[in-house]
This record gives sequence, structure tokens and C-alpha cells, in this order.
Amino acid sequence: MSPVSATYWGIPGYVIFWILFAIAFGLFAQRFYFLFRLMRLGKLENRFDRIGERIKTMLVEVVPQWCTLKTVTRKDLAGIGHALLFWCFSLFFISYIIFIGLAGGFGLSPLIEGTPFETVYFSILDIAAVLVTLTLIVAAVRRYVIRVQRLEPSAEAGIILMMVFSLMVLHVFGVGFDHASQGVHASWPPIGATLAGLLSGTGLAQGTLEAASRGVWWLHYMVILSFMVYIPRSKHLHILASLVNAFFKQLGPKVVLEPIPLEALEAPEGSVTFGVSKIQDFTWKDLLDLYACAVCGRCHVNCPAQLTGKTLSPREVIHNLKEHLLQAGPGLLANKAEASSDNQGESQAETPAKTPTKSMIGDVVTEEEIWACTTCGACQEVCPVNIEHIRKIIDLRRNLVLTQSKMPESAQLMLRNMQSRGHPWAGVQSMRLRGDWTSDLDLKILADGDNADTLFWVGCTGALVERNVKATLSMTRVLKAAGVDFGVLGEAETCCGDPARRAGYEFQFQMMAEQNIEIFKGHNIKEIITTCPHCYNTIKHEYPRYGGDFKVVHYTQLIADLIRQGRLKLTNELNSKLTYHDPCYLGRYNSVYMEPRRILQAIPKAKLEEMERSRDTGFCCGGGGGLMWIEEQPGTTKINQMRLEDVLKTGAETVVTACPYCLQMFEDSIEHKEIKDSLKARDLVELVEAALTK
Amino acid sequence: MHTIVCVKQVLDPEIPPAKFKIDPAAKQVIPPAGVPPVISVFDERAVEAACRLKDKHKGKITVISMGTAKAADVVKHAISMGADDGYVLQDPAFENLDSFGTAYVLGKAIQKIGGYDLVLCGRQAADWGAGQVGSILAEILGIPVVTLACAIEAVEKKLRVKRMVKDGYEVLEAPMPSLVTVSSEIGLPRLPGGMGLMMARKKQIPVWKAQDIGAESSKLDKANAHTEVTGLSVPTRKTECEIIAGGTPGEAAVNLALKLIKLI
Repeated sequence: MSPVSATYWGIPGYVIFWILFAIAFGLFAQRFYFLFRLMRLGKLENRFDRIGERIKTMLVEVVPQWCTLKTVTRKDLAGIGHALLFWCFSLFFISYIIFIGLAGGFGLSPLIEGTPFETVYFSILDIAAVLVTLTLIVAAVRRYVIRVQRLEPSAEAGIILMMVFSLMVLHVFGVGFDHASQGVHASWPPIGATLAGLLSGTGLAQGTLEAASRGVWWLHYMVILSFMVYIPRSKHLHILASLVNAFFKQLGPKVVLEPIPLEALEAPEGSVTFGVSKIQDFTWKDLLDLYACAVCGRCHVNCPAQLTGKTLSPREVIHNLKEHLLQAGPGLLANKAEASSDNQGESQAETPAKTPTKSMIGDVVTEEEIWACTTCGACQEVCPVNIEHIRKIIDLRRNLVLTQSKMPESAQLMLRNMQSRGHPWAGVQSMRLRGDWTSDLDLKILADGDNADTLFWVGCTGALVERNVKATLSMTRVLKAAGVDFGVLGEAETCCGDPARRAGYEFQFQMMAEQNIEIFKGHNIKEIITTCPHCYNTIKHEYPRYGGDFKVVHYTQLIADLIRQGRLKLTNELNSKLTYHDPCYLGRYNSVYMEPRRILQAIPKAKLEEMERSRDTGFCCGGGGGLMWIEEQPGTTKINQMRLEDVLKTGAETVVTACPYCLQMFEDSIEHKEIKDSLKARDLVELVEAALTK
Repeated sequence: MHTIVCVKQVLDPEIPPAKFKIDPAAKQVIPPAGVPPVISVFDERAVEAACRLKDKHKGKITVISMGTAKAADVVKHAISMGADDGYVLQDPAFENLDSFGTAYVLGKAIQKIGGYDLVLCGRQAADWGAGQVGSILAEILGIPVVTLACAIEAVEKKLRVKRMVKDGYEVLEAPMPSLVTVSSEIGLPRLPGGMGLMMARKKQIPVWKAQDIGAESSKLDKANAHTEVTGLSVPTRKTECEIIAGGTPGEAAVNLALKLIKLI
């Protein structure tokens, strides 16, 4: 007999059951609808393509808990705990539907009670309850005793831990009192049955036991309902939002920046703002990201800016934006309602009371934070709930640069160079001109009307900065040794536009992209070889949006291939201990981890020692996101100096990389530490050239 | 308030000195390949000054540039910063004019545009650096001139100009219209914003020839020029380095001081 079928103070249990449910569900739905309307304040964005693929991605991430298990490292095992909690709690969730909803609320208990199904399921739940309790204890210890760096101890987390724990206790006591009051003597489910034995042994009267059993049942029910009410009001909103976010996640390239639509520019002057300056300027997907965040702080402890003492923390950015949305939201909704009911009249100015008192840039996210990001992608790589941090930062930069004209002086200088000189380097920084590196070389420099299938795109740093020009020259000699037929643009080559885009100067990027695509098409180019991972990423993933579809290869992929085909033979011994630094835009952005290592393995006697942070957890050099030119924000140390310490821990004599920015950054940090004699920075192609059979 | 700004397109001053080549016989600079010319830095500051006035008082900015067809680039740059209209003055007769000839052409164009309250020029051009055109142009237009401005305000139909002097600045008032030449101290020019870039992209820049502005050929005749280039050379710069020795840093410092005393 389910306690629901009883009558309480003359009121049928069913009535109480459904009234309680209606109240709880009402509160849940009210909050849910509010959050949904807030999300709809965001701009439109189409994430409804490739539905099948989206469903599959969501299931793969959530059901086997790949979302958190992928983040497990030797130092951080919390993902395992989350997976356990998820699986066990899913079992409980199903049990609430069957044993409380169906059995209780719909009066089906006669069909379910006492069946082997119930016994087996409850036995599994007993084990699950133990696992959950253990996990909760670990979680509490991590938060309140050890105080793990990435977690902010909050009251919310405490409430949730207590609620889940009480659900476990109520589950086993529920079984215990039920069995004891009905005089059932069974050995399954193990914990419930043991408790029943103990309760029967206390000599309590049958009536007391029955009353207690009912009391526990109703209490259990009410805690479950309160949990449902509490979820959308706390950071545990992620239980629902992260599921949806996994469905709507960015498919394809990991970091995608949306172009600013050109129609926006046809609007009358003054009516358009570029980028994002108010919370409702974000897209709905950006706002959904905020709901999905569980403040787990994985991004916080992997962010190079945060680790080197800058004020930027991706966790705080997302959390603060969410708080801001919830605070400013009601006013914005009221404005929206007013605007639509009043669409006949002249557009109403926002009344001061309903306008958010905080300005988003400055009060919620500071300019210092916005300019500290290297766009390395470490935050997005570890984020279990698919939050896209980087495009939000870039959107904020776009507003600062394009609408407000506010940026660090170094950023302005770089962007001005891009605009007037076609590349980010000023003449005084490099005593060279764009075509200089080609002098005295036997190269096919494409003049107007010349055609070539394959273009070696050098990139501005490789063409202009003396140290990087050495790597560029090595590259041309390696290509020639392998018999690759290629052309170069020489002085006609400009920048790919990456630094302008990452700094938020979107139109400069668009102009450069369009201009470069025109040049490529003018020479009938089919394939583009790049040495710079930033050019690689830009031309490969971002040019297609402007009509430029070319086959783009990074030189590490090409050389690995040439070695495999036997067109390059590496025989000279290197006899040196080295370590390889993964460039973010090659590794995390494009998953090219294998090829560079395969090349290193092909060099005789090159001893590769991996750094602790490598491959997808590789640590940024500090030069991405335009920060090669934009002065690093104040912190406790520089990012490249912190990365140099990683290198030194391996005991390597050479640090190898495959990116001109990284190379520069290492040269700088080696110079700064005055260890030029014991550590060399090399581009991988320079090692390949040295190992070539002459 | 209507401001007319004169801008010039020059060889990028950021090119490495070793790349700077001249033809001494023709007395001309040979532009290096692969280096796009840029707006003269001082003229860009004049545009910035105009934009700051426009930010405060609204109004209109017109930009003119005498040069080649490529000068449209610097006019567009000024438009992207906030100017409204622009014209390029291009004619074979305008080539290699001296400061007087240049001022004459600019003056003719400004008279054609008309209705201005202020004319701005850079303090000098970043290539030849004569610093003459502004003053001569004011003379031609018959308006007052204030040179080397580091700040310009418009107060009750008057211009209040902060002007750089040797050890500080002086504040002058001038009626409208006047001509002001702008110095670097006015501050960094703005980076063109999104709106400006798109305006510049869409804008057509008309080209005016000698007859469009009614320039008389006698005034453009090289024979009537007031100045003549008699020679052109790249200055050679020699650096010598001498390490001052000494047993201790203190001794080295004494030796250095003795050496410096002799040089004074």
C-alpha cells in the first residue's frame, strides 16, 4: 500500500500528492519560462542545422559522461566523481518516476510493490546511494577542507550537497521503515533490509513504525520536489542547460567567430553598434552558455592569463555575465514588452529605472580582462559544458575597437600598421620590407598573370622578422629538396588578417580576407602551404566564409607526408634532447598533434621529452589573439616566462615549435632569463633542414 | 562648423633607412617597391583635430589632397576617421610644385569648396618638411594663421588655439575663418571605427584637374617657381663606440667624466 492511497485529516493522499506536485512544478515552470524569455533577448543565431549529428554529439557527451571524463588528469580526478554521480543520480531519477510518480501518484503500487523488479532496482539503488554518499563526502572535502583552487566554496554548492545527501538517506530509511512496518524479513535490498532489521529490533509499536514510514515517504517526496524547484534557481541549472548546450554546441572547427553582418552597415549612422556592449547584444546561444556553466573552474586553472596573475578568469567572466543577465533581465523584458505593445508610436527611450545600472564593459567585464585573453582555447578545451568563451571576448573587443575606439595604445599601433602597411609590424621593429626575404633566391615569385597550383604563403612574421626569416628560408630549401613545385607572392603578400580579427578590428580582417582571396584566385592557386598556424587556421577555416575555398596545409603535415613518401630523407644525427611546444592554433584549434612528433621521430637521435602540459593541454606562449603586439596586462609573470619553466623542467637543450609567434616568444623569454647558451629555440623546419641528407 | 583639412600622401617614414634610395641626378626619391605610401603623420593629426571639433560641435569636414590618383587612399583614410567629403587634386601640371605652387592649387580648391570656418594643415609634410604651405595658403586665402597648434577649441564663434612655443605653450584667439597648422602634441590620431571604415568604402572621391579649380597655368609654370632644388643627398650617419675602461665601476665612471669634460 502506497502512503498516497491513505487519507489524511479527511483529505485523500492523492489530492495532497498532486497539489504538492502542482505547486512545485508551477514554481519550476515559472522560473524555467523566465530563463527562456531572458535567453530570447539575445540575437538570432542558427544552431538548428545537422540535427542528427547534434543528437549524436549530445548523447555521446552526456550518457557515457565523456564531457567530464575527458578532463580527468592525474592531478584532477573530479571528473570520475561527476560521472559516478551522474550515472547513480540518473538511476534515482528514473526510480522517482517509477516508484513515486507511477506507484504513488498514479496508484500503480499494487503492480510494482513486492515484485522482483522492485527488489533488484532498490538493491542497485542501495549501492548507488553508497557511491553517491562517498562522492559527496569527497566533493565536500574538496570544497571546504582542501579548498581546491578551481572551486569557489559557495552556499549553493553546500545546499545541493546536503539535498542530494538527504535524498540518499531518505531512500534507505524509506525502505527500512517500509519493511519494518510491514514485517518483511528480507536480505535485499541490502542496506534497506539491514535498517529494517534494526528498526524492528527497537521494539517500536507497529502503529509508530507505520506512521514513521509514511512520514519518511512524504518527506522524501517533498525533498525531491524542492530539488526540482531549486535546480533552475541555482548553478545546478547546468543539469538541464548543459544538456541543451551539448545539442547546440559548435560543430566543426572548435573556435568560430561570426562575421559582423554587412547589412548592419547599411543602417543609418548612429543606430548600429558593433560587437557586444549590452547583454542582449549576445546571441541566445551565448546566453545559454551562461546557464550551462556550473562554475567548475576548469577554465580558471587552465587559463594562461589567470595563471600568470592577470585579472582575467574565464570562470568569473561567464559567472559575472550570468549574474548580470539575471539582474538586468527583468528590466529588459519589461522594455521589450513595452516596445512591442507600443510599436505604433515613436520608439520609446529606455526609462532609467529599467535600464541596467551597470555597464557591461567596465562593471561586469573589465577592459583589462578583455585584453588579457590570448585566445589560446585552453578554457574551451576543458569546458565540460561546451561554453564558447573566446567569441564572447572577441565580441567585447569588437565593441571597444569599432564602436568605442578604446584599446591599449599597443593595439592601436598594431591595427594602424595593419591598415596602412598591410601587416602588423612597424618598420622600426623590423628592418626589412615584405619582399626582402626573397632576394638572391631562385624562387618563382608570382607576378600579375602568373599561375601556380601551390603557393607557399609565408606570413608577415616569417617575411619580416629576422629570426623568423631564417625559418622561412629553411622552409624554401626543404621544399626544394623534396622537389615541391611552389610559387611565392614576395612583396605582394600582405597579412592574412588574423591579428586584426582577434583584436576585434573585424572590417580590416574582412577587407584583407577579400583582397587575399582575390589574389589567390588571380593566380589560379589550388593549394596553400603555410608555416604560421595562425595563417593556417584563418585561411582554412575563415576564408571560406568570404568565398575562398582552397586546400590549406600546414608545413608539419606536408613534411610528415613527404618523409612518409620517401621524398625527404633525414639522415644527419641531431643527438640532442628536445621538447616540442604545441602551438595553440595548430594543436587545440586544428588537432595537429601527431605530425610534428612524427617528424621529430624521423630525425635520427632526436630525443623527444614531452612537457607536462602538452597536446590538448598545451600551454600558450603568450603571443596569440593579437598579444604578439598588444602589451601583456600586468600580472605576476609573463606567459612566455611561465612556459619557459615548463621547458626547463624537461631538461631539454632545444625547444622546438612550429609557429613564428611561439618561436619569437621563446627567443624573448630565453633572452630574458639569460640562458642562451644552454637552451635554443628552433622552428621544426630548421631541424628538418639540418637533418636532410646532403 | 565647416572644416577643410589639407592632407598629403608621403613615402612611409617607417621604412628602414637602408631601403631609402634617391636619384641624385634627377633630384628625386625612388619609392621602394612593396611599400604602400601613407598619410603624412602631421596631416593625420590635423584630421584628428578636425574630428575632435566635430565630436563636440557637429558640423562637416572636407578633406583635399594634391597628389597622384593613389592620393584617394589618404582621403579615404581621413573619411574613415570621420571626415564627410573628400577631393583629390591631380593634374600633370601639379607635379613637383614648390610650396608656393602647392599653396596656390590648394587655395583654388578651397575657394571652390567655399563656406568654411577653419582650414587645417599639418605643421609640415613628413617627406620634405618645409613647413611653408600652411602660412602661404593663409596668405592666399586672406585669413589669419596660427601655426603649431596642440589644441583647438571653438568658443563663441572664435577659435581658441593652444600653440606650442619653445618652453611651453601660448593660447591665442583667432576669428573664423582662420587657418591653423597642427603639431604632433595634439595626440594620437584615432583608429577608424566600424562606421567610418564603411563610409570610406562606399564614398566616391572626385578628382579635380587644373581647369576644374580654375588654376592659371602661369602660376603652375616651373619657371615661375620661388624655390629650386639644387641638390639631393641621403645624410650619412656615423656612430662610433668606445668602451671606457677602468679597474672598478667607480674608476670607469671617473674616466668617463674626464672624457666628457673634454668634449664640452
